[in-house]
Amino acid sequence: MEKELEHQFVTNLERDQNIVHKICRIYTNDQASHNDLFQEITIQLWKAYPKFRGDAKFSTWMYRVALNTAITLYRKKKRGIQTQDYDSVHFRIKVDEYDDETEQQLSLMYNAVKELNDIDKALVFLYLEDKNYKEISETMGISEVNARVKMNRVKTKLKKILNP
Amino acid sequence: MDELDLLKKDWNRQQGNYPKLTYDQIYKMIWKRSSSIVKWIFYISIIELIVATLLNIIFSGDKYWEDIEKNNLEEVVTILYVLSYAITFYFIFRFYKNYKRISTTDDAATLMLNILKTRRTVKFYIGYVLISTGMTVVGISGYMILKHSNKDIAQASKYAFDAVDWIKFIGVSVLVLTVFLGLIWCFYRLLYGILLRRLKKNYIELKKLEI
Repeated sequence: MEKELEHQFVTNLERDQNIVHKICRIYTNDQASHNDLFQEITIQLWKAYPKFRGDAKFSTWMYRVALNTAITLYRKKKRGIQTQDYDSVHFRIKVDEYDDETEQQLSLMYNAVKELNDIDKALVFLYLEDKNYKEISETMGISEVNARVKMNRVKTKLKKILNP
Repeated sequence: MDELDLLKKDWNRQQGNYPKLTYDQIYKMIWKRSSSIVKWIFYISIIELIVATLLNIIFSGDKYWEDIEKNNLEEVVTILYVLSYAITFYFIFRFYKNYKRISTTDDAATLMLNILKTRRTVKFYIGYVLISTGMTVVGISGYMILKHSNKDIAQASKYAFDAVDWIKFIGVSVLVLTVFLGLIWCFYRLLYGILLRRLKKNYIELKKLEI
């Protein structure tokens, strides 16, 4: 029974691991921290797995536990030596059809997102993942109005960065 | 185009740009030890509860009892004891209930609030122990002063204090109490600084603008 549960869980997570990687990208700045956070999220997902009833999609359920871990449970380890920053190397793949200006804008945007506080990062992440305001408000535990207002403020912040 | 929409478009194109862990790598991870703050908070709180309970017991040692029996205060003190144990159990029960309520499947705000509540229970317990210990010390001192100011006893007892002795006694007591409270205060600042600063900041940020 336990073995079956383990197998089910690992298979699910292997399939949907991108969600966790994306969260790690937003909340950490180097590969070692990325791996640390990925591991902690995996542990927390596994611990909470018995509560997963299967009436929701596994991926939907993951968002909550993974974000909660990143925002609240995870303790950043202090690192003496910083490994190379993603942003400059492999944070994103270049897309050929973009012109230089768009590329530069995007690079600025990604850096700007990194500068946001933990809560704003979560909002932006959920927005990028195509969650509607109802889902965002339920995941974060705030009202829809508040979620909208906060999102508008983030948009303004990003706009200012791009058009100073 | 909206800045965020540009970002979103690119975000969706990056799907292939993430590490890909194998089944075995993930399987190994689920048996690793968690280093979440909830675990830390749990251990630290347990230590605090034990220390505080011990403190409560130490301050009611045998000698204290003998003294009380001699002075026919038994009933009052028994009531106080029962009360203090009841309060201790109540706090431990509350702590346990609050701790059990912490769940990562809750929404972010609820999770944060439950963690803060759990900490708060321990904080209140520590506060209660400090205040009740302080009151006991003051109570005993007051009682001793009253006893010793009774002239007959003062003459019969070799422990009779004069004014200078009293000043010394009070001075030392205040000093000890100050150092003791100071240490606990530092300890708390450190603990909260390390564990809860980020959580509190995030909770306030999240709840800002909420009615």
